[in-house]
Amino acid sequence: MTTRILAVDDSPSMRMLLRASLAKQGFAVEDAEDGVHGLERMHEVAPDLLITDINMPRMDGFELIEAVRAEPRFRGTPILVLSTEFSDEKKARARNAGATGWITKPFDPDKLGAAIRRVYP
Amino acid sequence: MSELEDIQAIFFEEAEEGLATAEAGLSAMAEGDASPDVIAGVFRAVHSIKGGAGAFGHGGLQDFAHVFENLLDEVRAGRIAADDRVCRTMLAAFDVLSDHVAAARGLGPAPDDAAMLAALQQALGQGAPSAPAEPVADENGFTPVAIDLADLDNDPFAFEPVAVALDDLDAPASQTGAWQITFTPSPAALAHGGEPLLVIRELERLGAQLTAIDSVVPPLRDLDPEGAYLTYRLGAPAECDEAALRECFDFMPPDCSLTIAREEAPAPAVLAAPTLVVDNAQPPPDAAPAAPPPAAASDGGVPQLIRVDVGKLDMLLNLVGELVIRNSILFDRLSPTDQQRVELPELARLTREIQDNVMSLRAQPVRQAFSRVPRIVRELCADTGKEVDLEMIGETTEVDKGVIEKIGEPLTHMIRNAVDHGIEPPAQREAAGKPRRGTLQLSAEQKGARIFLRVRDDGRGIDRARVRAKAIEKGIIPADAMLSDEEIDNLICAPGFSTAETISNISGRGVGMDVVRSNVEALGGRVEIASVPGEGTTFTMVLPLTLAILDGMIVRLSGQRYVLPLASVIETVRPEPDQVRAVSTEGEVIELRGDYVPVRRASELFGFPHQRGACEETVVIIVETEAGRVGLLVDTIEDRREVVIKSLDQNLHPIRGLGGATILGDGSIALILDIDALLAAGGAQKFALKGLAA
Repeated sequence: MTTRILAVDDSPSMRMLLRASLAKQGFAVEDAEDGVHGLERMHEVAPDLLITDINMPRMDGFELIEAVRAEPRFRGTPILVLSTEFSDEKKARARNAGATGWITKPFDPDKLGAAIRRVYP
Repeated sequence: MSELEDIQAIFFEEAEEGLATAEAGLSAMAEGDASPDVIAGVFRAVHSIKGGAGAFGHGGLQDFAHVFENLLDEVRAGRIAADDRVCRTMLAAFDVLSDHVAAARGLGPAPDDAAMLAALQQALGQGAPSAPAEPVADENGFTPVAIDLADLDNDPFAFEPVAVALDDLDAPASQTGAWQITFTPSPAALAHGGEPLLVIRELERLGAQLTAIDSVVPPLRDLDPEGAYLTYRLGAPAECDEAALRECFDFMPPDCSLTIAREEAPAPAVLAAPTLVVDNAQPPPDAAPAAPPPAAASDGGVPQLIRVDVGKLDMLLNLVGELVIRNSILFDRLSPTDQQRVELPELARLTREIQDNVMSLRAQPVRQAFSRVPRIVRELCADTGKEVDLEMIGETTEVDKGVIEKIGEPLTHMIRNAVDHGIEPPAQREAAGKPRRGTLQLSAEQKGARIFLRVRDDGRGIDRARVRAKAIEKGIIPADAMLSDEEIDNLICAPGFSTAETISNISGRGVGMDVVRSNVEALGGRVEIASVPGEGTTFTMVLPLTLAILDGMIVRLSGQRYVLPLASVIETVRPEPDQVRAVSTEGEVIELRGDYVPVRRASELFGFPHQRGACEETVVIIVETEAGRVGLLVDTIEDRREVVIKSLDQNLHPIRGLGGATILGDGSIALILDIDALLAAGGAQKFALKGLAA
């Protein structure tokens, strides 16, 4: 089964980049442009894995993660944060919200793939 | 274009939008609005630019954005106050950031940002982020050691060759400092999608082997199904990179217990690596005051967006234009009974709706054109030593994209003109009893189907004597010309009147005002100048909201049909025989509910033969112009309809008073009148007359 990934990022170019590099590694990628849209897409797509940015309008990544984790069906879904932020404080916040892992932008497609495999077989 | 280049092109668009957002936000902050929303907006913009820059390999841009972002983050967290000095630094940093973006796009050289980086660092230093709190021993007397990966990488001794006796080479690896890893996941690690098995697999790929699993699984009745009861022990070859091993645990939360240590090696191991007790490098939570959460977007109604190629919109616009024309041709050819059939009005209504919608697709706020202005003003102030406050009003006014794209250059020149020529140096202003800082107001306002862009300064006004002398010297007007103040002001826009070399070299970097005027007129607009000596000057660009469609009134003048923009029509009057009166040899007025409104004969304006006094068959159309209400005498009103504007051929452009042409329902062509230009004071009419007579 192809691993299905939902990528949430407010930057269209970042979404395209994620789509392109993950598709090359055999993942099926859906995307959304902010937390609100991302939460909607979570329900529609029910992906195997969620990748989200932190700084986004409307609903940021922290809020999205909390909202996703609040739903029993997504409690075990791995969530990776992909952000240019790297402060420990932010990482701790993401973790407390329920994130599984953290990747710092700009991302190396291979490392991103490895990180995905670290949380989803 | 490759896929990556495509994506990069989109990134550049985003970067430009981000720059505009950042600049607007920084300007607001400089004016004292340091609300969390504003700061968060700027931060997000710079942050996104940094992210994309990294992805596309624009290292210089990324590095600069990074430092800039650090400062913004401190400001956002309230650790550094957004005072005047910090705001100035950030505005200057913004300029360098813009240059970096331009350089990344290949539109300019990479800026020398060393000084700016130093200034940012200095601003950051002043906030002195509190030193990391001393690690505190936990209840087991165990002090976590925060380890920075980067430090390990940079440590010159980290990979220093270790002095090893030759004999030791034969010893099994496990005895010369092989790694021992002990890992006890916490319940939190298992929740939230963490999976120790995958971590172990990753370690195995690095050569590690699982050696033991210690289990403390309680009796079933005490078992918490979401609890964590296992400890994993692994061994890894000594040559494994420590950092790589630790990286496998990156996603494991700090409450997991993890030790990665070299096996106690006997004697020869010099420089044994220190035992690492990795606490996932989490500093105590109180190391830094918690930043307020980034302003959660309060604007719940942000619409979802899709990017569309402008070419496609233009095509659609053209097609809708044709549809409108065909529609009216069809309507004209049908008999009056057929015209009443219900399908036709419905079709017309639908067509109009499509048209409105397509037009609105192309509409964009003038903010885009305004966004570069603050920088221009800052640079001019720096160059001239003048002090200017910039006010911008009506940035949300929406105009057709085509118009926005073309007003940038004229606007820039008008701004330069105002700062350079209009506003006086501070000392001069004080001597004249004015506030030391000049005010430059940039406003956009929609009136009917036109947009008014004004650049107003409170400077010295136009030096009419000097302009007049210059115009005479240049041979633009004869030495004995009798000109009104307005006519003198308008000389600035006369071809050949170069203000550049005569007054200073700053405005000369742009184009002359004559080019501004011809650019604006090419868009179907006009430039107006109003100046009061000692009090200031206002330049107004009056532009059509759209370049494509006009709600018009079709009138007949001396047998020809013309289109009047309906937006400027206030009312129409069929005058009583004595309602229109001559007031002097010069003009006529119409009495309208006790008021007198000047009347112009359109036939006169165009230089057609006319019969003054023969008002019986005529209609007076009262129009709103910049100069107030004016009655326009026409033969008859034929119809009211939306017309598709077709631009006039290049050689007809210089004729003031014509806004374009259109194709009517019967296939004939009618000229569209530009009422303001047609009726505007003196000079304009003369130009129009001369133009048509030629």
